[in-house]
Amino acid sequence: MSQSQTATLAADDITLAHRQFIVAANLSLHLPTAQVTAIVGPNGCGKSTLLNGLARIHAPKRGSVLLDGKDIHRLPSKEVARKLALLPQDNTAPEGLTVADLVRFGRQPHQGWMAQWSKEDQRAFDQAIQAADVAGLADRALDTLSGGQRQRAWIAMSVAQQTPLLLLDEPTSALDLGHQIEVFELIRALSGQGKTIAMVVHDLASACRYADHMVAMKNGTIIEEGAPAEIVSPELVQELYGVSCDLIHDPATGSPLLVNVRRNP
Amino acid sequence: MPDKRNTLVNTALLGLLVLATIISLATGTVQVSLFDTLRALAGHADPMTDFVINELRLSRVNAGLLSGAALAMAGCLMQTLARNRLATPGIIGIDNAATAFAVASVVGVGLSLAPSAMALAGAAAATAIAFGLAGANGTRGYRFIVAGIGIGAIAGAVTQVMLSRVAIDAANAAYPWTVGSLNARSGQSVLVLGIGLAAGYLVLMSLSRALNTLQFTDAVAIALGTRLKATRIIGLGLSVMLTGLAVSVCGPVGLIALLAPELARALCRPGKVPLTAAALAGASFMLVADLLGRTLFAPLEIPVGIITAIVGSPYLLWILLRPSPRSLT
Amino acid sequence: MLNALSPTSVVASRAFFPPLLAAGFLLLLVVLASLLYGAGPVSASDAMAALMANGTEEAWFVVTELRLPRTIIALITGLALGLAGALLQSMTRNPLAEPGLLGVSAGSGFAVALAILLGATTATLTTLSAQLGALAGCALVIAATRVQGLGNDPVRLVLAGATMTGLLLALTSMLMLMDQRAADEIRFWITGSVAGKPLSMLWATLPSITLALVLIAIVARPLAAMALGEKAAVGLGHHPGRIRFLITFTVALLVGSATALAGPLIFVGLVVPFIARAFSGPDIRKTLWLCVPVGPAVVLGADVLSRLIAAPAEMPLGVVTALIGAPVLLAIVRAGRMPSL
Repeated sequence: MSQSQTATLAADDITLAHRQFIVAANLSLHLPTAQVTAIVGPNGCGKSTLLNGLARIHAPKRGSVLLDGKDIHRLPSKEVARKLALLPQDNTAPEGLTVADLVRFGRQPHQGWMAQWSKEDQRAFDQAIQAADVAGLADRALDTLSGGQRQRAWIAMSVAQQTPLLLLDEPTSALDLGHQIEVFELIRALSGQGKTIAMVVHDLASACRYADHMVAMKNGTIIEEGAPAEIVSPELVQELYGVSCDLIHDPATGSPLLVNVRRNP
Repeated sequence: MPDKRNTLVNTALLGLLVLATIISLATGTVQVSLFDTLRALAGHADPMTDFVINELRLSRVNAGLLSGAALAMAGCLMQTLARNRLATPGIIGIDNAATAFAVASVVGVGLSLAPSAMALAGAAAATAIAFGLAGANGTRGYRFIVAGIGIGAIAGAVTQVMLSRVAIDAANAAYPWTVGSLNARSGQSVLVLGIGLAAGYLVLMSLSRALNTLQFTDAVAIALGTRLKATRIIGLGLSVMLTGLAVSVCGPVGLIALLAPELARALCRPGKVPLTAAALAGASFMLVADLLGRTLFAPLEIPVGIITAIVGSPYLLWILLRPSPRSLT
Repeated sequence: MLNALSPTSVVASRAFFPPLLAAGFLLLLVVLASLLYGAGPVSASDAMAALMANGTEEAWFVVTELRLPRTIIALITGLALGLAGALLQSMTRNPLAEPGLLGVSAGSGFAVALAILLGATTATLTTLSAQLGALAGCALVIAATRVQGLGNDPVRLVLAGATMTGLLLALTSMLMLMDQRAADEIRFWITGSVAGKPLSMLWATLPSITLALVLIAIVARPLAAMALGEKAAVGLGHHPGRIRFLITFTVALLVGSATALAGPLIFVGLVVPFIARAFSGPDIRKTLWLCVPVGPAVVLGADVLSRLIAAPAEMPLGVVTALIGAPVLLAIVRAGRMPSL
């Protein structure tokens, strides 16, 4: 994985709002380098809004998002796109677009105004489709792929951007269990190659299993942050989701497992 | 069970129509007082007034009244059958096709049938194509309607082709049809329309119970004992007939078939197909629009089709562009 | 298994140059037909001789002074409308978004009618008003696509456009009724036709067309990325708001110019991208390239047909394009599933 530089991404006391309605207030967050951060929380807690804020899709009302210490909204969008890749949740693709077509889009931030496809682009492209294991699918149209394959193709596009940072908004929503594992293991592999990754995850168990760092949100604030093994507890689950549970450790991986989840007595 | 609200609405609309008729008759280059107009209708006016009202204006008002009622009824009927309030003959291209055929008869392309017969054939052809193209998708949704826009565009182009190929006199004679106007009416067409409207109305009244059940899903209608297929075919046939006959009199006057049933539905008690109220409202709309066209820029006369387009289009746009439309089906 | 796929085969795109060349060749044929058949008492063989530089003086005059300007105007009109349709469809993700169907052309025609009624006489002024009208129309369309729920309902948008067109046509007819003398001139401008248009009109529109082409070169790549969704486009470093603004402006320039040249022609902006997309696949950049030969070929071909069908009389070009375009509209709508862009 050729990644020339590393980059840091942090939120400095940001407040995010939809029009007048404040979704998240006074959030500060620093993404640990070369680790997978999972943002979890109940529906409507502001986790996707936070991710969109970090990805400069959503401008904060107050505070700033810092990319390498500089306000992300003051940097040229293209320069940001060379350091930070985003996989949005509501992505669409025109009918008949092939995986190769899609992955090639990832090179746009690196191309000049009229520049042609360069050797460098080709190298990044090849690495991306290998990394995401979609080389065999390159000439297939996206609409003919399974959900997991399609998601890997999108991740390949982000990888082709060759950014040190990758943000994903619910990358496994609407995927069945097998495809979820396929995507999460790819994310782990990318992190192993040095990428700093943040993702919104719906399912707390997957977050425990695949994240190094967990950010738990409720009502627009971060209530707990740290390694899953350290912060996940019956009390936290109670606070986040309003349900009781017991906690054991996965005998195979050691990650926390919630069992006997039930409504409050 | 007598329905007070609908009776009241129908009476009010009838009153409105009578008023519109009398004002239409009284207004023109020679202004006649309302009282004198009534006297002339009763046959007690001086010869001059009698001539203006009964000879000059009555036939135009008659034509407007009948065609407005027929268009509105056809629209109301088709909306009910298609379960789509936008599925009116004008929008799905039937008007334009009827016009193309009527123009063909006027400019004498091969056939020399009366405009009424030709317009009927055109309306039937367009309906068959529109419903044929809707195919398995049924008449629900907008796809059906865009197919109609395409049919209307083809028919309009064909009309233009015919007009561009004939002598200027024949083209001028056929012109009012292309915009929708009460100028080109022929006594014969109006007579045929009158007969068709009366007959159609009687048939529809006998069908009204079955039509009312069509406001539910097919399954409910069948469960209520409606002979679905027969009702549809008769209803569609009547809708085509009324549209064709009206177009042979006034050309493609747009949007009356949409506006009048809308008004009728808003006023009448929900649950019944307001055919009578729609017909009365349509007749009034047509007369008022024609009156506006004659008086707004007098002595210049604006064809009634242009007036209805200018008045009706903003309303249709509003229906279409509202952020969350009411159910359109 | 991965190594079996060489990098070049991985990025090999579908055959793109053959259709481009074929369209270019077809375009040449249509141009030739346009010069050989048409107005003036010169037979096809005489015209051919004139083109080979050994014809009569009369034939030379007819071909270069009468048929050539008309041919050029048809070519530019087709280029503008084809590109405008492709841009608008890609941006609104609506395969039916056609400037003519959505009322942009009618808005442009209405603006011309209004300008003439108010006393505009020069080609430059009418061109400018056509472009302003198109800009207003485009802005309305874009605003409408931003209405909740309408953006992803192609057919509803088209119906609204058809209604808008009806309204504008009615208003234009009313203007024409108000002033009979202006009416003749208005009719000359707003009848869909390229016959008898002076070359001065071409000069008046050329700067706008050139500007539009430059803008297209700038926005093509970001526009392609917009097809992946707005957030994905931001993620790749683009600015959707700016792109949308530039496209709106470009489409207005193109449609305004085309309307000034040939009057409101509906369906061209539907047919041309429809054909181009069939060969180019989903990438808007390739579609735009293919529109360059296909657009002019379609409009000029329709114009040649308009001369031949009703010869010796001529049919309005707008009628021919409607006859060609309406079946394409029906075909798109009839497709079991609306293709998504």
